[in-house]
Amino acid sequence: MIKKVFEKPLSWLERIFFIDFIRGLSVTIRHAFSKTITTHYPYEKLTPPKRFRGFFGHKVVDGTEPQPAFDEWVERFKVEVEPGKSRCVVCLLCKRACPVPQLFEIEGEKLPNGKRRVSVFNMNMLLCTFCGFCVDACPVDCLFQSDIHETASYSRKDSVLTLEVLERIGRDWQRRREKEPDRIWIDDAQRMRLWYENDLKLPEVKKQ
Amino acid sequence: MEGLFVQLLVIGIKILVILGVVLGLGAYLTWVERKVAAHIQRRAGPMVVGWHGLLQPLADGLKLITKEDIFPRTGNRFLYNLALVLALVPAVLVFAVVPFGPEFEFFGVKVKPILTDVNVGLLLVFALGSMAVYAIALAGWASNSKYALIGSMRKAGIIVSYEVVITFAVMGPVILAGTLSTYEIVQQQINQKLWYIWLQPIAFVIYMFAMLAETGRVPFDVQEAEAELVTGFTVEYGGIKFGLFPLVEWYVEVLSLSAIAVVLFLGGWSPINIPFLGFVDPLFFLGPLSPFVWFVLKVALLFLFVLWLHWTLPRYRIDQITETAWKVMLPLTFVNLVLTAVLAPIVWR
Repeated sequence: MIKKVFEKPLSWLERIFFIDFIRGLSVTIRHAFSKTITTHYPYEKLTPPKRFRGFFGHKVVDGTEPQPAFDEWVERFKVEVEPGKSRCVVCLLCKRACPVPQLFEIEGEKLPNGKRRVSVFNMNMLLCTFCGFCVDACPVDCLFQSDIHETASYSRKDSVLTLEVLERIGRDWQRRREKEPDRIWIDDAQRMRLWYENDLKLPEVKKQ
Repeated sequence: MEGLFVQLLVIGIKILVILGVVLGLGAYLTWVERKVAAHIQRRAGPMVVGWHGLLQPLADGLKLITKEDIFPRTGNRFLYNLALVLALVPAVLVFAVVPFGPEFEFFGVKVKPILTDVNVGLLLVFALGSMAVYAIALAGWASNSKYALIGSMRKAGIIVSYEVVITFAVMGPVILAGTLSTYEIVQQQINQKLWYIWLQPIAFVIYMFAMLAETGRVPFDVQEAEAELVTGFTVEYGGIKFGLFPLVEWYVEVLSLSAIAVVLFLGGWSPINIPFLGFVDPLFFLGPLSPFVWFVLKVALLFLFVLWLHWTLPRYRIDQITETAWKVMLPLTFVNLVLTAVLAPIVWR
């Protein structure tokens, strides 16, 4: 079978009758009478995929922490674990991973019973590039990126995420989307089929 | 004395109707264009202001009127404002010789739905069409800006080449009709039972191209060329002055040239034509309104076709545009002229 690689240049007859024009016009008219694909934004909103890199949040202590990492960090830093509060253990790994470290303002405090907990956790979103390095660095799955993407505010102060706001975003997230399977986009089944039903078979890695 | 008064009244009413319809329609065609463009790109276009964005032109107009009028410090204020007038007036004036329908009687007064049936109507159209080049050249020069000057020079180059082409293209219909009066040309087409597009397909295609070039539509919008020249010669205008140039160029001029194309090639207000046999009128039930509806329908279809082309094609380079005009289209119009001269006796009979 002969494979077509390039379009042939138009013959003079095709040029006279504007065949290329007519082809283009037929494409546009077909699109003009098909359904529009846009979202009417302020009235309709798309739900971003779960891996969307939006505003940050702090997941709260609810029994789903990654073990044994969380217990190890709690033990090492003697952190006060309180259900419904941030999982943060004040390890500052997020700040170290950040390309703009000054956007983090993290402080811990010592409680009268000798344990410690996070007291200040401010993130200045005006400096953030939403790269997600801090999320990768977090050892206790506390800091994460949510699907909040409407981030405009009227003052610079409003764009600083404080600990309370972060916790609120985290609680909301855990209620809404924590249980959702981690998938890439809504046409998941289609993508899976494309990935797994292609005829390219890679040699399987032998388990030791 | 009374006859004179009635005549003046009729002319006044005609002027008001034409001005109102043309400028109002011009504003609303922005909405049409935005809708067509949006649907070709699978968007919905303006949807918020009014039902399906129907009040959008009003909102746009209000916004443009209330905007600050910025003037470049080193520009020439007189020429800067003169360019606006020179752009608007000839474009609207073309409608003075566009016949909208056949003569009818209204309370005993015979009214031709054409403002002035001058016997050199077509000449007037193209004289006014070439006036556009002054407006654009002045706008570019008075703005004292690189982009504006380059844009206006490009446009001047295009108009100078395509005025010649368009004038030779309409020679065919003029020969077949034997008159320059727009009203008479349509009347001749009805008498000869022939739309001139059947005998002048080459002239029609060339006319369409020249029309796109004169009105600065794609594929000839190099004077606009938002990717390279920002918006060409309008770049230093602000507010409603900025809004007026595209209104004139893209809507009023396209409308007037479409109307002239309908008059010359598509038989004006006559219904569907079978060459040399007669006319078939599927809209007969409209009675005396049918010719007007036919005229508006044809102009609207032609305008929509121009929009369709605009949102389909890419842009040519300036040298390709002028080359096509001088090396391809002008010789073709000469060939067409000779063919017409051979065929004309069949039509005249």
